[in-house]
Amino acid sequence: MAELTLTDQFTTIFEAKTGSKEGLSDFQKGSFEAFNTLGLPHRKSEAYKYTQIARILEKNFSEVSVPLETSWDIAEIKERFYPVNEANHLVFINGVWKSDLSEIKSDANHLQISVISESELDLLGKVSNSSRDPFAQLNGAQFSGGLFFKAARNSDNIPTFIYHFLDAENTSISFPRILIDAETGSQTRVYEKTFVNGDAAALVIGMLESKVESNASVRFTKLQQYPKNVYAVEGIYASQDKDSRFHTNTFTFGGAVIRNNVVIDIDGENCEGHMNGLYVISGNTQVDNNTAVDHKQPHSFSNELYKGVIDENARGVFNGKIYVRPEAQKTNAFQSNNNIILSDSATVNTKPQLEIWADDVKCSHGCTTGQLDEDAIFYLRARGISKVRAKALMLTAFAVETLEEVKEELVKDEIESIILNKLG
Amino acid sequence: MLKIENLQASIEDKEILKGINLEVKPGEVHAIMGPNGSGKSTLASVLAGREEYEVTGGSVSYMGKDLLEFAPEERAREGIFLAFQYPVEIPGVSTTNFLKTAVNQVRESKGLKPLDAVSFLKEMKEKMKLVDIDQALLSRALNEGFSGGEKKRNEIFQMAMLEPKLSILDETDSGLDIDALKIVADGVNKLKSKDNATIVVTHYQRLLDYIVPDFVHVLYKGKIVKSGDKNLALELEEKGYDWIKDEEGVEA
Repeated sequence: MAELTLTDQFTTIFEAKTGSKEGLSDFQKGSFEAFNTLGLPHRKSEAYKYTQIARILEKNFSEVSVPLETSWDIAEIKERFYPVNEANHLVFINGVWKSDLSEIKSDANHLQISVISESELDLLGKVSNSSRDPFAQLNGAQFSGGLFFKAARNSDNIPTFIYHFLDAENTSISFPRILIDAETGSQTRVYEKTFVNGDAAALVIGMLESKVESNASVRFTKLQQYPKNVYAVEGIYASQDKDSRFHTNTFTFGGAVIRNNVVIDIDGENCEGHMNGLYVISGNTQVDNNTAVDHKQPHSFSNELYKGVIDENARGVFNGKIYVRPEAQKTNAFQSNNNIILSDSATVNTKPQLEIWADDVKCSHGCTTGQLDEDAIFYLRARGISKVRAKALMLTAFAVETLEEVKEELVKDEIESIILNKLG
Repeated sequence: MLKIENLQASIEDKEILKGINLEVKPGEVHAIMGPNGSGKSTLASVLAGREEYEVTGGSVSYMGKDLLEFAPEERAREGIFLAFQYPVEIPGVSTTNFLKTAVNQVRESKGLKPLDAVSFLKEMKEKMKLVDIDQALLSRALNEGFSGGEKKRNEIFQMAMLEPKLSILDETDSGLDIDALKIVADGVNKLKSKDNATIVVTHYQRLLDYIVPDFVHVLYKGKIVKSGDKNLALELEEKGYDWIKDEEGVEA
């Protein structure tokens, strides 16, 4: 039997899919056509210059399917919940949202949580422009049991925790999809993390869209503490109306190859858009953060801070685009990417990219890649602190700065302890 | 306490110290003076164990042990303290957190239990008075955005917390106005005892009005060319370093 290419396999998975409602099925067909037209990023694709994603995936996923059964049992799943009573705990298994395993505390008047259906077609795939992103299109074609999350003006502002459970006993793939509609004046805090059973290669093609209406606030924090058999391409696409705030925090501590695409459209005045990230990686892990903020309206602010600590053979990639359109006068847009390399074989590729068409703006970007400051290490040692401890102090201090925007103490503590474990 | 014999050191193959001899006994204050580039700071750095400097000859004995065998942190734990000329800014690490780590690592090396949070705070409050340093400053990142005076006061505060046997003050007066200088000198004097010793490295005499030395040594071109009591510092102040240079020139 001739070996199937990955795209052939996607077709098989697509054709086997059943149960999609008619309206949705049109959307999914359209997405699949778009994916087939775009194809996987080719070898010379600028957006994937440092992560040869097609080659990597072809090599590791010669036979792949969405798991039909799970080895996770209910007790195991509930044990993983953060111990917060006043919270929504939402469970995905292999990319499919499971309402029966989820615990929802919010009143339906404040927060609507349901499976993505044809009623959301006016938003789905349209929050911001993902038409050139093959993985966004692939997810659009393949997802099932997506989560629709609609926060009303009088939202109760209790946190929502999303837990993904993956089965990787055999080579697997999943397509989680989340659609957030933050209505005018609403407050939303979402935290996301993933658990994996099994050590066969697992591929996650994830997609989150968030519409942030006027004067709404959305905070989204993602913890990617993947084992080394996980490959992921995850998109976050947001668009902001006037006076809104959007924060993303992405923490990556492991995995095989992780690609994060974060895109924010600032399509209103007086908005704040924040993108923060931290990657602390070792072994052969490769993390590629690709971000873009598009200022379409005047008087808004965006800030981006990504930090990395890269050890052994790991590789960190950062690409940050800032667009300021001619109408977007008085824009303030800042970006920085700082990396510390701990071994001779660790690599960092960092590329800021600013395209500014307006003339009355404040924009800055900066990136640094280096080793630990020897003078600082000597200073600490001269006070009796061992070399190992001195390095740990400095690295953790460097890393925890990215935690400032994580407001949920339990999550913050959890991430801090991961950092201390890895660097302390 | 400290015996330096014929110490020679170089950095990047450039010889800086060309045979230093110096003995320091408990309770003594030694001033090391000299023009810029004479090797004063190099001497301080070599004693503290900065690895960029290569010791090419001679010996340093401290409390009967070969000091040069020790890593910088071991020297600190044995009671050597270097007050830096340029204290390093360390973003993200608060002075309190840093000092707690330092104090406890020093204690651990002596087989003592780490100080708990309450005892540590008590200790800190006591020592803060010595150098008139503010609590708010100590919760900030170590030296980050501190003024020159704040940095130097923080150095002396650290010295007070670590209670060294031998303190080396490297140009502690540089960048200080007279009020800050008095506060810093006052702190150093309060920490003085018959069991510990101080080496004051300075370019100018004025610090020595406040920290009165028992001995003054003049370092020039990597060697101690003149030693005396505190009057030597005054003489230097009056005649300037050209006097030494001229004398040396004649001798050479």
